[in-house]
Amino acid sequence: MNNEEYAFALKNTLNEIKNICPDLSHAFFFKDEKIIAKDENTDEKTANSTVTAFNAITERANAIGGLESVTFHGTNGRVNIACINDLYLTTVTSKEADEKYVNTLTRVLVPTVLKLLEKIHPASIDHDTLTTEKPEPTEDNNADEIIEDAEVCEKELPMEETDATEPESEPLLPEPPVNQLIVENLSGLLVPSDTVRIDSAVTAQWKDLYGDKKIGEVDVETLNGKTTRCKFKPIKGSKHKGKGIIQIPEKIQLTLQTKKGELAMVKPVVK
Amino acid sequence: MVKKKKSTHETATTAVIDHETAAPAVEEDQTFTSLRTNLAEINKCKGVLGYILRNATSATIDLKDPTKLVEYATLSSQALDSGKEISELFDIGDIENILIQGKDSKALCITMGENKASIFMEKDADHTDILRRVSP
Repeated sequence: MNNEEYAFALKNTLNEIKNICPDLSHAFFFKDEKIIAKDENTDEKTANSTVTAFNAITERANAIGGLESVTFHGTNGRVNIACINDLYLTTVTSKEADEKYVNTLTRVLVPTVLKLLEKIHPASIDHDTLTTEKPEPTEDNNADEIIEDAEVCEKELPMEETDATEPESEPLLPEPPVNQLIVENLSGLLVPSDTVRIDSAVTAQWKDLYGDKKIGEVDVETLNGKTTRCKFKPIKGSKHKGKGIIQIPEKIQLTLQTKKGELAMVKPVVK
Repeated sequence: MVKKKKSTHETATTAVIDHETAAPAVEEDQTFTSLRTNLAEINKCKGVLGYILRNATSATIDLKDPTKLVEYATLSSQALDSGKEISELFDIGDIENILIQGKDSKALCITMGENKASIFMEKDADHTDILRRVSP
């Protein structure tokens, strides 16, 4: 993977975050003085001016041990610039936006995408030469592979795009993907209390990834670090397909200390 | 005027600088005085490292570590300047407050009319509670 593809994956991540949070009007990544990826709404000049304003604060932040993040609260909106791994992410939201929700999304999703990208092609990422240019289509399947993986995290991958023959071409099993899903309640008389239900688009993707290997259970981890292993079933019906949802019975929600609307990371247990 | 205050562990220095004493706007003075009283109370809270309050004519500074005065002052001043730029860039309206989180501590800069307050605190201090107390 080259740097253009890396930037392209980040740009897709930003666009997907914006799809999930309509209150997010601008988002871009920068490192030092370089814009690494930006959404469609943000022009280069605005992004560069923001970086200059931010760097001016950074230069004077020795008194507080160096700058980690800064949030500007205006009468009509909010601008947050936060350090995520080696990059700075700027997000601009309306005043009505749920700050916690936006932060949860960006601070979980972005590191996961970055980690994923590093894992896939660790040696080839050179932050110093990153650009925001769109990559031209190449014969190399890696780009598609990366974009697909990034989209897994963003809960948007349609089934049709997962027909890749990766498992056949790799003798070893790929590492289980970690999916971030939104918790929903699962109740009813006939509902087993030890089984969660997962977005069928995600489970279909696991099936594509692992073929005939048995996946009977999943590891579920919440943002507060609570984990549990439980059985799972795909959510029936097309209504919930591709929505990035995990339906969890009350008993498991109590174990995980989570509730409806929060994020949970789900990893298949492949046997 | 320089006044020395003693706390259990640290010595705090309060400096009040009045450039105009002749006929300042009464309302501004009242807001400033009320803010100063409020901040003095907040300054007693656990985790609060001090504050800088200023308007066009006066300034009050009360820091537990007075050696950091210049650094804190330049940081808060720069944050407010950058805030103006950011506000214009993204059209987010007048800046009400800025939260600057550092690796060791954090600062909350609040604009209330002509008055600008910067409160410095430890990283785990509850800045939302402080914000509520300053601008309810």
